[in-house]
Amino acid sequence: MSAELTEGLVGGPGRRGLPDTSARMSRVAREINAAVTVAARDITLTVKSPGMLAMSLIMPLMMMGLIGGNLMQNMAGGLSFGFGRFMLVGMLINMMFMMTTMGMTSLVDDSDGDYSAELLVSPVSRYAIVVGKIIGSSFMAIVSCLGVLAVGLVMGLTLEPWHLLALAALAPLMCLSGGALAMIVMGVIKKNKTANMAVMLLTMPQMFLSGVIIPISQSSGLLWLLSRIMPMTYCVDLGRAVVYAGSPEYDAVVLFNPAVNLACVAAITAICLVAGTVLYARSEKNR
Amino acid sequence: MAVIEVEGLVKRYKRAKEPSVKSVSFEVAEGEFFAFLGPNGAGKTTTISILTTTLSKTAGRVQIAGYDIDSQDRQVRDHIGIIFQRPNLDRTLTAEENIRIHACLYGMYAYRPTYKAMPAGYRQQVEQLASIVGVGDSLFKRVSKLSGGMQRKFEVVRALTHTPHVLFLDEPTQGLDAVARRDLWEYLDRVRRECGTTIFLTTHYIDEAEGADTVCLIDRGQIALSCPPAEMKRRLGAETLEDAYVDYLRRHGSGTEAEGPALYSGSGRTGGGRRGRGL
Repeated sequence: MSAELTEGLVGGPGRRGLPDTSARMSRVAREINAAVTVAARDITLTVKSPGMLAMSLIMPLMMMGLIGGNLMQNMAGGLSFGFGRFMLVGMLINMMFMMTTMGMTSLVDDSDGDYSAELLVSPVSRYAIVVGKIIGSSFMAIVSCLGVLAVGLVMGLTLEPWHLLALAALAPLMCLSGGALAMIVMGVIKKNKTANMAVMLLTMPQMFLSGVIIPISQSSGLLWLLSRIMPMTYCVDLGRAVVYAGSPEYDAVVLFNPAVNLACVAAITAICLVAGTVLYARSEKNR
Repeated sequence: MAVIEVEGLVKRYKRAKEPSVKSVSFEVAEGEFFAFLGPNGAGKTTTISILTTTLSKTAGRVQIAGYDIDSQDRQVRDHIGIIFQRPNLDRTLTAEENIRIHACLYGMYAYRPTYKAMPAGYRQQVEQLASIVGVGDSLFKRVSKLSGGMQRKFEVVRALTHTPHVLFLDEPTQGLDAVARRDLWEYLDRVRRECGTTIFLTTHYIDEAEGADTVCLIDRGQIALSCPPAEMKRRLGAETLEDAYVDYLRRHGSGTEAEGPALYSGSGRTGGGRRGRGL
């Protein structure tokens, strides 16, 4: 019986036959493994929640099919470029950014369900947990992007395969950027309802002010200022710079040099990720 | 050798007038069963939260398994297991998925998306543990489909997967029926006996502390008493630990007219910051 119990608990020699807890993975491997584990948990939860998957697919239908479709039919006639492709690229980036941001509210869900305690007492850095959460949330974003492509197909809007590949290559940065921005909110809000509201306030204005479906090249005054401080502006512009590169419409569609976009996205992401994670760790521990 | 060392621990919550924990000191030896008792609001959960690195302290020094909880918090977390007051298995996942995530977070195995893809060592360990606790049939059921007692057992399995030096049990049997409580304690006793795991328990079921090596009573943020259960019963002239506990609280505890708890250090390893009038 004794041996049975001990065998059940262990895999190798150590304290009373127990393995030495410090002799497992290296620190870096452990951090990567932890991020993968946290991400895999979130992906499993999404897959097991048909409601969440349905929402990921309904969102593009509403945003692109209804809002975008209406704009395309009624207001896009005077533009010097094709509105359909402009909107398709904008919506793809928007979904990567917005759905990851919204998915990060699962951190607050975990707190409500007490699961966050299990994460917070595990011997891994808070960054591994947060990065894992962002990767997990990105899964919903990818599902939404597939929804955007499907709605686009119905509307007769498509992208070349190499454009899709280029956007896929940018997707991790876009998702990380959205998740990092959400961390600023998750770091200070502990209530589910408030978190959902805050995330909506964070993402919805960006959809209109960052040029996702409405061009912002002619914005002035306060709207100009707001569009320049929205992180998604640089994400969307970078995506369009990649898709429109070498085309005659490039100058009319793209606002900034891609290098400027990339630098802005990277800087905002890094600042938000570090500040948000510090806030999150502190708010959990310093009461 | 002391596996938990607490010296002058103070915790004052933000915007609180009074500290919740007032210069508490105690030690727990390796392999010891240490019961940390006290009425609601006495400072039990605050202390256990600090010891498990989920809450910052205001002052004092705490070492777990030789590691400082401030500068070496990750090493501390590596050496402890916790059963929280409220069940916190992920209810959407299966019991096995919960255990797998735990084992991977503790760096025991690289994550694999399915049970079958996990290393044989993991599968063997989980199956043996589950069958020992008597929950082998429910390993692949969704947690939301399991009874409260079954969920608690899986929490024990999860907490022990990484073979911690110290197992913190924060009111582990809350909400369980008598049979489930007894089953759980039989298993925990075996773990302690056969693996030498130190157990740090807080509970409102005082009879659960009868088998403890040391009973430590905290009241109004100060340690009022720390000694073996037999000594506590003898000093208070009670037949059971529960009688002794209730008797003490009626005479000195919060809600009485006493200005503070009666303070007494029975083992010499424990203190409440000042010496009181004793029992």
